[in-house]
Amino acid sequence: MSEVTNGISRRSVLKGAAVGGLGLAAGGSLLAGCGSKATGPLAYGARSVDAGPTAQNKALIAAYTAKTKNEVKYNATESNAFQNNLSQYLQGTPDDTFEWMAGYRMQFFAEQGLLADLTDVWGAIGDQYADSYKIASTGLDGKQYFVPKSWYPWGMHFRKSMFKDLGLSADTVTNWDEFLKMLDGMKKKGLVGFAAGDKGGWEAMGTFDILNARINGYQFHVDLLAGREKWTDAKVLDVFTHWAQLIPYMNPNVLDLEWDGAMQLLLQKKAGSMLMGSWFGGNFKEQSQADYDDLSIIPFPEINPEHGRDTVDAPIDGWCVAANGTNNSGGSDFLKFAGDMEGVNATLAAKDANGALIPMTSANNGQDTSTYDAFQKEQMAVMDEAKYITQFLDRDTRPDFAGPVVGPAIQSWFKNPKDVNKIVDSLQAQWDALPPLA
Amino acid sequence: MSIDVELQAAAIKYKNKQKVKDRFISAFIGIFAIAWIFPIVWTVWTSLRPYKDVRAHGVFSMPKTLNLQNYADAISRMDLPLYFWNTFAITVPAVFLTLFFGSLIAFVVSRYSFRWNVSLLLLFTAGNLLPAQLVFIPVFKMYITLGKAVGIPRLLYDSPWGVVLIHVAFQMGFATFVLSSYMKTVPKEISESAMVDGATVFTHYTKVMLPLLRPALASLGVLMTTWIYNDFFWALVLMSTDSKRPITSALGRLQGEFVTDYNLLAAGAVIAALPTLIVFFVLRKQFVSGLTLGSTKG
Repeated sequence: MSEVTNGISRRSVLKGAAVGGLGLAAGGSLLAGCGSKATGPLAYGARSVDAGPTAQNKALIAAYTAKTKNEVKYNATESNAFQNNLSQYLQGTPDDTFEWMAGYRMQFFAEQGLLADLTDVWGAIGDQYADSYKIASTGLDGKQYFVPKSWYPWGMHFRKSMFKDLGLSADTVTNWDEFLKMLDGMKKKGLVGFAAGDKGGWEAMGTFDILNARINGYQFHVDLLAGREKWTDAKVLDVFTHWAQLIPYMNPNVLDLEWDGAMQLLLQKKAGSMLMGSWFGGNFKEQSQADYDDLSIIPFPEINPEHGRDTVDAPIDGWCVAANGTNNSGGSDFLKFAGDMEGVNATLAAKDANGALIPMTSANNGQDTSTYDAFQKEQMAVMDEAKYITQFLDRDTRPDFAGPVVGPAIQSWFKNPKDVNKIVDSLQAQWDALPPLA
Repeated sequence: MSIDVELQAAAIKYKNKQKVKDRFISAFIGIFAIAWIFPIVWTVWTSLRPYKDVRAHGVFSMPKTLNLQNYADAISRMDLPLYFWNTFAITVPAVFLTLFFGSLIAFVVSRYSFRWNVSLLLLFTAGNLLPAQLVFIPVFKMYITLGKAVGIPRLLYDSPWGVVLIHVAFQMGFATFVLSSYMKTVPKEISESAMVDGATVFTHYTKVMLPLLRPALASLGVLMTTWIYNDFFWALVLMSTDSKRPITSALGRLQGEFVTDYNLLAAGAVIAALPTLIVFFVLRKQFVSGLTLGSTKG
């Protein structure tokens, strides 16, 4: 399990962004030397066919090719298909560098020898990243196998205009009692308080993560997901007890909605708040700039004063190099460029079909945060308040446990919350029945 | 006279009864027809609405705009010519090879009696019972190992030929089964007279049996085409380069990582389904006879 801590170093670097800009610019030019060797043509495996990421990737690749003269073959696969097929992909004829996720999801494949060691890449660009990112990029053997690109936090999203109408502000929703009061107020106005969807089976995992981290703390959460704690523990039952208190404020069709169904409730002002990853800001922006400007995020409220609001789910996306690729040194060379501020800038310069810049919160310290819009700044604040970063339940535990076991368990809990004892028993029994990892 | 009247009355009564029965059956069939047609109509309806409209007003709202924009977007994003060509390059060889090998085996097991012929037929039919999901890991490992052994990693894995081969292997069981049942309906005397006239085994197959098999081959070919055309699974697990995959995987290109624009996807689905629909309407007769092929044994 990755011990991801968001250290002081990172925050101070971000605070000093204005001053740091100079230093980082110098750093960038010093590092410009890497990535210029002719390491030959390589193939790039993209985990998305969406317009935004595709434009970013193409811009990054164009900048790399312009600089090194190395040709890059682009192979994009739709994300679900890519993810489900990754094991075969990596054993077969993978692209040299490919997009993937940090933490357990990366370690799982690194352990099987399917990822190439990127320690030398980190030697070259490591000083541009906070320790928390390095830890999330490190395999169980202490070597790095991952280069981070971007992140997004999970938090409570709401519309500023609705908050104002309800007489609320971010400061008045800081703990559980205030949170329930807020939901109550929304319910009285005929709104859905806590918009939720769990048709896909993964959406509600975010709610479990944050409740568990708030009630029982970061350490218990990661230990539970790593199998060092038991699902039958009274602490886990406590999570479900708190969760059950939210059910009256949810839309009644939780299991019929995917996450974007819940988002639509917020967009249509039928719901007052939603716990979700901030990626969907792009959807609001697509709808209209006014909707995007109205969107706001705050950290999930404190429940147990011992832990405060010290943990956040903030999945990190980035790249790995496939060990079975034909050009490992080319792959690493590309990532040296992509992870360096020079590559990050090339990515950030990409524009969407309307000619607008694509919002991205980069993992690199050097991104000029003064260009962030209001929503991005709020995301940053949510991130900065947290001491511990988790990746998300299905990225923090075994893939054969998260999707096939936890997902359906939570869905059956939604169907019948009274069955909670049976459900945690079955969760523990299924964890115990898993074969040991090879 | 009175008997006539009685008979007439009985006939009318019977007719009325039959009419009620017919109406009942029609209503029953009608309900099922609606249940079947509804998803298709809904897909077409969805494909005409922009996602933005649905997102802002909900799925069941009255549409503000109806247009073909989703189709234009789907066509440009799906890279249609490339993926249709990929499908073509997989489907055509696979169907021909399946029919060729299937008819060869069916010919031998139905026309010649030897010790293992029933077991051989059973073996081929049994292959049908294995779900693809069960055998794909061994197949995948075999392709990789073979590629490594000859030094060409993409010999079968990530190559259209690998997918063609697995389709041939998988569909051959059904083809053999159907064709051998059909051949059993061909009178033995034809074969006997061919042999008496001194036809070799090969002549017997090409000159006597194949022409007789034509209707069966046509029906089976239509069925196989739609099945292989619709496959998504094998191309996904046996290929790593997306631009080599068939049209079914191009539909995935319309799906976002987080957001799925179902209106766009519906337009794509309609486009991808068109060739099968056309094949169905043009060759409806073969289709139906293909499904019932071999169900009667002579």
